[in-house]
Amino acid sequence: MAALRGEMSWFCCGTAWGPCGTAGGGACGTCKSGNYQHAWPNTSDACFSITRPDSCGVSMSRRGCGFRHYTTNLCTGARVGTTIADCGPQTDLFCGETSCCGSACGSNRIIDLTPAAFSAIASLSNGLRPCSVDIV
Amino acid sequence: MPHTLDRRRLLATAALGGVVGATGLGSLAPEAAFAAEAPAVEPGAPDPNFVEGRISKISGHLLLVTGSDTVLHSIRITSGTSIWKLHPTTFDQVAIGDGLYARGVRLPDGTLAADSVWVNIVNLHAHITSVGRNVLHLDHQGRRIVAHVVPGRSAAVYNGTPAVSDLSLLRVGRHVQVLGAWHPDTNEISIATVYAAA
Repeated sequence: MAALRGEMSWFCCGTAWGPCGTAGGGACGTCKSGNYQHAWPNTSDACFSITRPDSCGVSMSRRGCGFRHYTTNLCTGARVGTTIADCGPQTDLFCGETSCCGSACGSNRIIDLTPAAFSAIASLSNGLRPCSVDIV
Repeated sequence: MPHTLDRRRLLATAALGGVVGATGLGSLAPEAAFAAEAPAVEPGAPDPNFVEGRISKISGHLLLVTGSDTVLHSIRITSGTSIWKLHPTTFDQVAIGDGLYARGVRLPDGTLAADSVWVNIVNLHAHITSVGRNVLHLDHQGRRIVAHVVPGRSAAVYNGTPAVSDLSLLRVGRHVQVLGAWHPDTNEISIATVYAAA
C-alpha cells in the first residue's frame, strides 16, 4: 500500500492538566499523552460518520484500536511508530487545507499524534505539519 | 547511533555545569533535533524521554514536575534547552504551577536533561461561540474557553495560507484549531496560532 500523504497535528489524552483535563482515554479507552499513540479517522462506522475523510476525497482504510501506523514528518524526514488509541481528526472540517515545508506538502488532516509521539518528530509549537503515513 | 550518543554526552555535560551552548550541541532547536532520529520506543508504549505534568518546585535549573498520573519527575534545564511559552523564551519566564511537556535524554540518576520544554502549551479543537475585542470565546468539548488575542504574537492561518496577524475573518460558529498557552488554573489561554478552514 502506498503511503498516505496529508497533514498531522497533535492532541492530548489521558490524565492531563489544563483544558486537556477533560480529554479522557479516547475512543479506545487507552490513550495517554505520554505514549506513542494516535487518532485515526476511520476506526469504526461511528467514527467515520463524524470525521468523513471521504468528503474531502481522502480514502482511508478501516483500522481498529491498537493498529500500528508509521508517520513521517515531511519537513524533516523524522519518523515515529504509533498505535491507534482514538477517533480523529475531524478531517471534513478542514477539507482542502494544505501545509507545506518548501515543496513538501500535505493536504487534509489524516492523523493526530499524542504529544509524546508528535514531539519525537516535530516541535509541539508547530501545530500542523505535512506528513506521510504508512503501515510498515 | 553516534549522534544519539554525542547528544546524550553533550546534554549530560551541560547538565553537569559544562559550558555548552545550543550550537555546541549541534543545534537543539526543535526541528533540527527531531530530524536526527526517533527514539527507539515501541509503538503504543510510553516514551521514557518525554515528561508531562505541572511544575511543583524550581530549584536552580532543576524543575520538579508532578505528572498528571502523579508520578514525580526531575527536569534539568541546560544551556542548550529550548523553552517555549507562547513564544520561544527564557528559563526565568517559567513558574511554579505551569504545565509542561518536555523532551530530552535521561541522565544516569533518572533526571531528564531537556532538549525542549513547551510550557502551558495547548492545541485545542473548538467552535467559536462569540468574538470580542481581542478575545475569542470558544466551546471546547462543551466547556467555555476564553482565548485572548496577543497583539504582535497571535496569528491566523486560513486554510493553509501563510499566517497573518489579521484575525478578523474568524466567524462565530466556525470550527478552529487553537495553538496557545494556558493561563494556569483558569479557563483562559493566549493565542499563538488559530487554524481556520476557509
